Amino acid sequence: MTKHDVRKRFIELGAAVFAVALPLGLQASDPQDIIKYRQAVMKANGGHLAAAGAIIQGKVDEHQGQLAEHVRAVQAINKDIPALFPDGSDLGETKALEAVWNKRADFEKRAKDTREKSEALAKAVSGGDNKIIVARLKELQDACKACHKDFRKEEKKK
Amino acid sequence: MLRRTCAVIAFGWLLCVAPATGAAQDLRKHGEYLFRAAGCATCHTNEKNRGAPLAGGRALKTPFGVFYTPNITPDPETGIGRWSEADFTRALRAGVSPEGQHYYPAFPYPSYARMRDEDVRVLWAYLSKAKPVRRANKPHELLWFVRYRPLLGFWKALFFRPGPYQSRSDRTEIWNRGAYLANAVGHCGECHTPRNLLGGMKERMAMAGTRAGPEGDPIPNITPHKTSGIGRWRESDLMEYFDSGMMPDGDFAGDIMAEVVDNSLRHLTQDDRRAIAGYILSLPPVDNPVRKEKKNTDSDF
Ligand code: HEC
Ligand code: HEC
Ligand code: HEC
Repeated sequence: MTKHDVRKRFIELGAAVFAVALPLGLQASDPQDIIKYRQAVMKANGGHLAAAGAIIQGKVDEHQGQLAEHVRAVQAINKDIPALFPDGSDLGETKALEAVWNKRADFEKRAKDTREKSEALAKAVSGGDNKIIVARLKELQDACKACHKDFRKEEKKK
Repeated sequence: MLRRTCAVIAFGWLLCVAPATGAAQDLRKHGEYLFRAAGCATCHTNEKNRGAPLAGGRALKTPFGVFYTPNITPDPETGIGRWSEADFTRALRAGVSPEGQHYYPAFPYPSYARMRDEDVRVLWAYLSKAKPVRRANKPHELLWFVRYRPLLGFWKALFFRPGPYQSRSDRTEIWNRGAYLANAVGHCGECHTPRNLLGGMKERMAMAGTRAGPEGDPIPNITPHKTSGIGRWRESDLMEYFDSGMMPDGDFAGDIMAEVVDNSLRHLTQDDRRAIAGYILSLPPVDNPVRKEKKNTDSDF
């Protein structure tokens, strides 16, 4: 084997390792990073919904123009909540209960319900009738709470 | 009679303002309101397993073992259908069964004992008309050293103070209403007040949260302490939380508190939610950091 061959082999091997490792690497993010990511997304969820709530309740009328933005954000975030909770992201600094993974069908039902309720709120907002908006907001809040009731704890028992 | 009862109730339940016509219906409504405010269904309905209303069977997992709530429907065989009003009053006021046995404080009678006579009566009127359901009680599964009921007499001698809530004359009517609803009826302290080794409430730390609540889990500090409590919440924030479960940052109540909101707080009148909120925010702030992490801090990857 010439020196050149060795080098070529080396590069090939490297490429192969890289080719195998890349998708693996994508799948296996550090669980704690997945947890942090989803908490960040959930915080945004809360932030936008709290902001929308304040506008809907007439607490900050000067921001009325932002309502549609906040509600669109909520709708986007709630498109696929279960994707934030992949297998293996149950251990670590998380408030998600084991039930998220053990009772997956129930969890997904709650997520679907929330998605639908956030779509309904967005629709109501474009309709512009405040009474309907208030009613849809309440329903969405109920949907968020229903999932937290069964799947989120103040702090997980260690 | 109803008229008089209503007049006696110090802080006028909304429903009592109604004229005497349909008195039975009003009484029922008033009873239902109290029943909600007291959260009886949270424990006595086994919702997770689709149990019938008030037929019991919910497991309360505590550090002392598992309690299974009894059937409190008026079924004569398996429920409390043979009880008199006096039996019921004694259970709530003294924590004693018709057979003279002590109840475990897993049944929060130390709080309910603070309820006014009129309210206990109205509650009984409502409960005794509930739908009877046949479901035999399941015995508790407790650690050996707490199985012997007579020992509860010692616990009571140490920690149980009977007697209804006494209004404080140096406070407003609405404050007293809030204190009554939070302590006697809503029994917030049963979860939110830390306990000593023997399970007695630490009165000086009222509502200051605990790392080991009734089911062994942490319960947040709800005194208005700026860093470890809810000192940043305003009255309107608390009222929103009691109504929808949403916190100021858009997070939602989870766990048993979501049930307290769903079963009790959201059914109250806006005035009553305001009264409770005002009372909670008037408590002395106690520095008792229960949470490991600080809430609302930015996450850093
Ligand atoms: C059965 C136990 C229980 C009872 C009774 C109870 N709570 Fe709670 N409470 C909790 C738990 C557990 C949490 C944490 C909820 C979560 O995980 O989001 C909580 C959270 C709260 C919070 C939010 C605090 C924070 O910092 O997040 C407030 C406010 C509150 N409770 C007020 C009350 C009031 C007022 C009452 C009485 C009317 C009451 N609670 C009765 C268990 C209880
Ligand atoms: C935190 C949970 C909890 C709540 C809330 C609660 N209970 Fe109970 N209750 C229990 C438990 C546990 C027992 C069994 C106590 C024992 O065996 O010593 C019990 C026992 C009883 C009994 C005695 C039944 C019997 O067969 O001897 C009655 C009556 C009762 N509860 C009525 C009520 C009413 C009325 C309310 C609302 C005002 C209520 N409970 C709220 C947990 C609860
Ligand atoms: C399908 C279940 C589910 C639904 C629906 C849901 N959540 Fe959550 N949420 C969770 C779980 C589980 C956690 C805990 C995540 C963790 O700690 O890893 C959480 C956490 C949160 C947090 C706390 C984030 C942090 O770490 O501080 C906020 C805020 C939040 N959710 C807001 C919302 C809002 C707003 C909605 C409704 C628009 C909603 N959630 C709907 C399951 C859900």
